[in-house]
Amino acid sequence: MALTKTVAGIAAGTLLTASTAFAQTYPERQITMVVPFSAGGPTDTVGRLIAEKMSADLGQQIIVENVGGAGGTLGAGNVAAAEADGYTILLHHIGMATSATLYRNLAYNPLEAFDYVGLVTEVPMTIVARKDLEPADFASLVTYVKENADTITMANAGIGAASHLCGMLFMQALEAPIVTVPYKGTGPAMTELLGGQIDIMCDQTTNTTEQIKGGTIKAYAVTSPARLDIFPDLPTVSEGGFPGLEVSVWHGLYAPKGTPAEVTARLSQSLQTALADPEIAAKLGELGTAPSPAADATPDALKAKLEAEIARWKPIIETAGVYAD
Amino acid sequence: MDLLSNLALGFATAASPENLLFCLIGVILGTLIGVLPGIGATATIAMLLPITFQLEPVSSLIMLAGIYYGAQYGGSTTAILINMPGESSSAVTAIDGYQMARKGRAGTALAVAALGSFFAGTVATLLVAIFAPPLTAVALQFGAAEYFSLMVLGLVSAIALAHGSILKALAMVVLGLLLGMVGTDIYSGTPRFTMGITEYADGLNFVALAVGVFGIAEILRNLEGEQDRTVLGAKLAGLFPSREEFRRMVGPVLRGTGIGSVLGILPGGGAVLAAFASYTVEKRVSKTPEEFGHGAIEGVAGPESANNAGAQTSFIPLLTLGIPANPVMALMVGAMIIQGIVPGPNVATEQPALFWGVIASMWIGNLMLVVLNLPLIGLWVRLLKVPYHVLFPIIMAFCSIGVYSVNSNVYDLYAVAFFGLMGYVLIKLKCEPAPLLLGFVLGPMLEENLRRAMILGRGDPSVFVTRPISAALLVLTVLVLVVVLLPSIRKKRDEVFVEAD
Amino acid sequence: MKSYNIDRTDAAAGGMFILFGLFFGVQALGLELGTAFRMGPGFFPLVLAVVLILFGALIVFNAVKAAPGAEAPGAIAWRGLMFILPAPIFFGLTVRGLGFIPSIFLTTLIAGLASLKMRPLHAVGLAVAVTIFSTLVFSYALGLPFRRIGPWLSF
Repeated sequence: MALTKTVAGIAAGTLLTASTAFAQTYPERQITMVVPFSAGGPTDTVGRLIAEKMSADLGQQIIVENVGGAGGTLGAGNVAAAEADGYTILLHHIGMATSATLYRNLAYNPLEAFDYVGLVTEVPMTIVARKDLEPADFASLVTYVKENADTITMANAGIGAASHLCGMLFMQALEAPIVTVPYKGTGPAMTELLGGQIDIMCDQTTNTTEQIKGGTIKAYAVTSPARLDIFPDLPTVSEGGFPGLEVSVWHGLYAPKGTPAEVTARLSQSLQTALADPEIAAKLGELGTAPSPAADATPDALKAKLEAEIARWKPIIETAGVYAD
Repeated sequence: MDLLSNLALGFATAASPENLLFCLIGVILGTLIGVLPGIGATATIAMLLPITFQLEPVSSLIMLAGIYYGAQYGGSTTAILINMPGESSSAVTAIDGYQMARKGRAGTALAVAALGSFFAGTVATLLVAIFAPPLTAVALQFGAAEYFSLMVLGLVSAIALAHGSILKALAMVVLGLLLGMVGTDIYSGTPRFTMGITEYADGLNFVALAVGVFGIAEILRNLEGEQDRTVLGAKLAGLFPSREEFRRMVGPVLRGTGIGSVLGILPGGGAVLAAFASYTVEKRVSKTPEEFGHGAIEGVAGPESANNAGAQTSFIPLLTLGIPANPVMALMVGAMIIQGIVPGPNVATEQPALFWGVIASMWIGNLMLVVLNLPLIGLWVRLLKVPYHVLFPIIMAFCSIGVYSVNSNVYDLYAVAFFGLMGYVLIKLKCEPAPLLLGFVLGPMLEENLRRAMILGRGDPSVFVTRPISAALLVLTVLVLVVVLLPSIRKKRDEVFVEAD
Repeated sequence: MKSYNIDRTDAAAGGMFILFGLFFGVQALGLELGTAFRMGPGFFPLVLAVVLILFGALIVFNAVKAAPGAEAPGAIAWRGLMFILPAPIFFGLTVRGLGFIPSIFLTTLIAGLASLKMRPLHAVGLAVAVTIFSTLVFSYALGLPFRRIGPWLSF
């Protein structure tokens, strides 16, 4: 495949056309989707899944560029400064909203630097523990954590990570100041949880599903509004009396501010087509999540979500007093 | 027997014509791209990841694994030929491998590396097949305290990396540790030593550092006199190792394989540590330690075997737990998920053909690599006959592209220039860069685990000696220190004079 | 200065380590040191910086005591420094603006100028060859997300 591309490339390479004249025939060349995290991570996976399907729909290749660093703010900053021609788009997760508070000198304003394409998926989180932790259910976990707040330890994957956000919520909801232990990413944190070096963690189903199924860790609750199909026996946090613990790692697709409305509309339509693909639903389902419904894969829904989430996390992060700069 | 039927299933899967083909494509692509200066396994896999999406899950993983160890071979090739390691683990190979190349024995060095890697790969693959679950259980016993003690043991090995002044080597390690601190502190989110540059928030890029202090500094050194020497002298000694050289590499290969297999299981830098540790051991047991740093064949055979064994066993956490041990494994996880397989503790039972097929393909891939690479050695060595003034602009172009392709971060390129300058100054001041690199790799892990152990131990440092594995590692550290320092102290006075002549 | 018996190379190396130690140490002092239970971001770097300064001082000390007649540092590759080091910097500055093709061409050209042996025409030829090869390999075959011709060159 790479070889045929090369041969075609030799022909194309001799005619270096540099047209930026914007035609109605968008897209007329390949589109770059910036994923502000390293390749292979959960966000990158979501990005590559939809990029493949959207490419088919748009008739132009969408290639994923990983610009990792500084909690996703580097990649987002690049896109904010990119040309608003629809050929650079950004896939970001909840970090778009939390970075507004976590980083006090961002180079861009998350609410003003982007146009919106739509929501992609909302990944629920699970509250999990090492497999030999005493409490049998969520209610007894809550009591246990409150009683042993000074000896229990909670892992997270670093400041601003989903597990860190959920951990902050957990502590504030239970009013239990647990000792938190940051790791460099989910992998090492999960390894230590498996090894029983640490007690509890709250992480995305993308990372925990298979471990829960395999019985290597214990699951107590999910943070989604309803129970999950893959874990029908796992109660929601609201059932356990903590509706404030509801949290999801939502992913959205953005374009730089000033992108023509027809272009974002076309991208949004393409996103909806991709998300309606049963293969996407199946693969996301394996991860304990689902594609956003067509009504949410729209610019307005994403805009509303971002605004609501920035407002929601600001006081939580300020109370915790943790900043990433 | 279970193992036999599993292996039979594995080989049946891996030996199907299309899987053989994808394995071959993988190792060829990996070798070819890995051999471009400055581009290592991680960057190679990230680049080639999209190609595998259209394939069957098994084929795609087999191909990715092939790219991984193919790129490792390729990375060693550039380390030996032009002192340009593309991956942290081949940095050690560069020390003596490049010196061998300068003496006209590049072919021998490459052959030793290939043969050592093949042997190590074979043994390690077998280990993965037989002992994956129990080895995983051991790895899980490693908490923060154990990691800290292991890192301390690793740092002690820096002393052996030095072939000049021990004091300077120690200072270089500490400088490396400090450079490793650059970036955001994961515990508090505070940026440290980034001089306000957000692009360095995740730390300095290892490839930028290695390419700078090893490769670019070497180019500058070669430009000094500007007699147009090719990297190797006029004549090439025989390409293949002599019988005597074979005899000399047996021990290092065996020991390197053992060290690599054990350390590779530990997530995060196991393979790097293994290469450094193997070098230390070889220098210690050698009857001619003074040859190290000047083209000792053992200094290539040992670390190369260790890093390849480590590369194979680093698949263990991924295969048994579904947890990636390093960035390359994280890419594999991403590839599996896109294929619709979520890796977890049950992969072996739910997807036996995939699990055993990948393991079997590792061995097949290693065999392909050795068959492929031995004839290629002649070609690589001939590349060195290209006049140096033609070669180095090409190297500069490729390493600029390579470093940039890792993260699309232009500041990594500025770091390359800075470290190139620094590396050149270090050469002028007779400081060796290898200990610096070791410190840089271990620094973040050392600090992270020290602080984590203290948090978990509620501020009580006794955790390091009350946990048995950690205590054992510390005892070992003290032993190594004694063994290493005793003869050195005695020798040191003489050495000062030798160095100053 | 009475003593001529200074190993200048070692003394300079020691001095360099002291400077690096100061660079990191001073900045580490500005960071929180924390407690044994929760060490701050400044604690470990500060310890390392102090150790580095000590090592540096020891190296300088030894250098002064060392045997006389340390060898001269040898020629310095000024031309190499002038052209090799700017090459990756130039690539970084222009790869997004000029685009991959012009940027890698100029980068190779700049690096090529570092050698006196390289005639200008040959340097251009080499740069063209490298540009064609890397555009085919990296941009087309591997599909790396580079803009081939950047926004600075489009009208």
